[in-house]
Amino acid sequence: MASYEKNKSKFKVSKLIIYIVLTIFAVIYLYPLIWLIIAAFKTNNEIFLSAFGFPAELQWINFEKAWVAGHIGQYFLNSVIVVGTTLLVSLLVNCMAAYAIARMKWKLSGATMAMFLSGMMVPIHASLIPLFVWFSNLGLIDNYLSLIIPYIVFSFGQSIYIMRGFFGSLPREMEEAAVIDGCSLWGAFWKIIIPISTGGIFTIGLFTFNGTWNELLVAKIFTNSDSVRTLPVGLTTFVGPNMTNYGPMFAAIVIAVIPTIIVYCCLSNKIVGGLTAGAVKG
Amino acid sequence: MERLLRDKKMILLFVGPAVLLFVCIILGPMIYGVALALFQWDGMSDPKFIGFDNFTFMFTQDVTFWVSFKNSIFFVIFSLISQQFLGLLTAIILTNNIKFKNLFKNIYYLPVVLSSAAVGLLWSFIFHPKIGVLNQLLLAIGVEGPKWLSEISGFLPLPLWCIGIVAAWQYMGSTMMLYMAAIQGIPESLYEAAYIDGASRIKCIRYITLPLITPMVKISTVLSCIGSLKFFDLIYTMTNGGPAHATEVLASHLYTRSFTQWEYGYGSALAIILVVLCLLFTFVLNKLVKVENYEM
Repeated sequence: MASYEKNKSKFKVSKLIIYIVLTIFAVIYLYPLIWLIIAAFKTNNEIFLSAFGFPAELQWINFEKAWVAGHIGQYFLNSVIVVGTTLLVSLLVNCMAAYAIARMKWKLSGATMAMFLSGMMVPIHASLIPLFVWFSNLGLIDNYLSLIIPYIVFSFGQSIYIMRGFFGSLPREMEEAAVIDGCSLWGAFWKIIIPISTGGIFTIGLFTFNGTWNELLVAKIFTNSDSVRTLPVGLTTFVGPNMTNYGPMFAAIVIAVIPTIIVYCCLSNKIVGGLTAGAVKG
Repeated sequence: MERLLRDKKMILLFVGPAVLLFVCIILGPMIYGVALALFQWDGMSDPKFIGFDNFTFMFTQDVTFWVSFKNSIFFVIFSLISQQFLGLLTAIILTNNIKFKNLFKNIYYLPVVLSSAAVGLLWSFIFHPKIGVLNQLLLAIGVEGPKWLSEISGFLPLPLWCIGIVAAWQYMGSTMMLYMAAIQGIPESLYEAAYIDGASRIKCIRYITLPLITPMVKISTVLSCIGSLKFFDLIYTMTNGGPAHATEVLASHLYTRSFTQWEYGYGSALAIILVVLCLLFTFVLNKLVKVENYEM
């Protein structure tokens, strides 16, 4: 829309208003997070004294209390294990399924894609109770697997959809050449297709990481001991407006959001790019 | 090559694991859940077949169901209006020649990637009557602020609005991003032609941008509705459905009934209502938002 800019003087005032509005919005977006980080370094007294003041001394002890006494360290480790395993397995399963749907010739490929997409449209609440009963009978409740298996499945709709679009856009000659040279389809998939699809894999990996790291409902229902609880659940047991040890609570929230903020800051352009790539085709 | 791509065993190898997992974790349990809705079951004793009694109870006697139903619909409508409006507005602004537009975009999208449990807890402290930012601000100008999250008078009590605003704060960015993608897909030449013909900026938005992004409006509104109906994390962390179930939504009511009171049959009946509502909203929005095809 560069052509508008010729009329600069006319739009100066309206531009100024737009910048002011955008900046006010940005403050509304950033201030709560900044407030949280400052509060995490305060003593209880300072928190009660004023919501706006700065801490006289940085209370690193808050983080130590949250990490050890509040079990946030344990929850963090659990989250890393659950999310890591989910990522590894789901990337593998999603890529294979997306390849079969995008490239292979079979009657039900359209219907299968529709089935995976329907999983995104229907709330998971509908399968939670039977799943809970089933997992209880299998003795899986309060086990990492009771989270990892559902999380893998929750990633299907979006990931397979994005990867199908990605594989569909690759030139067919690539596998053909490999197959003619005596490679099996399985071999061509791993040696040719996967290495050139790292961009797409990266995108679905980010989405899966984000969704899994933040998931609360399933984690809340399927775990009940500190040794398995993930961060979002652990956070809700440790933090609440009715508890009184504020400093460590704020520190715990900071610890929970820091990994996603770091990932986002490093990769925000890729996240946004991947999102738009998926969205345009959507 | 053709032969290889039709190889049944190979196809099964590639797609089999995903289909198997999906059927075991989503589809199978869902069908089982529909059957379960016709039973009374606490998970311990034998399930008792009671036909449609769960639904009769829900519609005629369960007061909390109607409260949560009302609240869920409130969140659907509130999110639709606030997020679509703000998301579209920011998307239109940020697709213009604006300085720092990437910075603004990244800031607005940031809350989307945060854990909604953490966001809910953070905001429950901002709304805190004593140590919260809001009431201390109000105090500074001499007003005593309300108890934001525990005032339950009225048909739509104050906490609902607070939670709705937090939801808008958190998810507006994702709506904005969808619209930005749609707007960036519109060819520049259309705007140039309109500009040469003397169209104003507002007219360009009205007659070029808006008509051409209707497919995205459809996707975005459906996603927003389903997201609002699934709404659980913010409610759970900010008010836990209270005080006195006044802020309960369908998902939290389902959670309480199924997993703290162990009424599996009744919980399944609630889940069916939730699914039906999702399908209904998807259907209605698909009918409501007309997508016209333009040659570009």
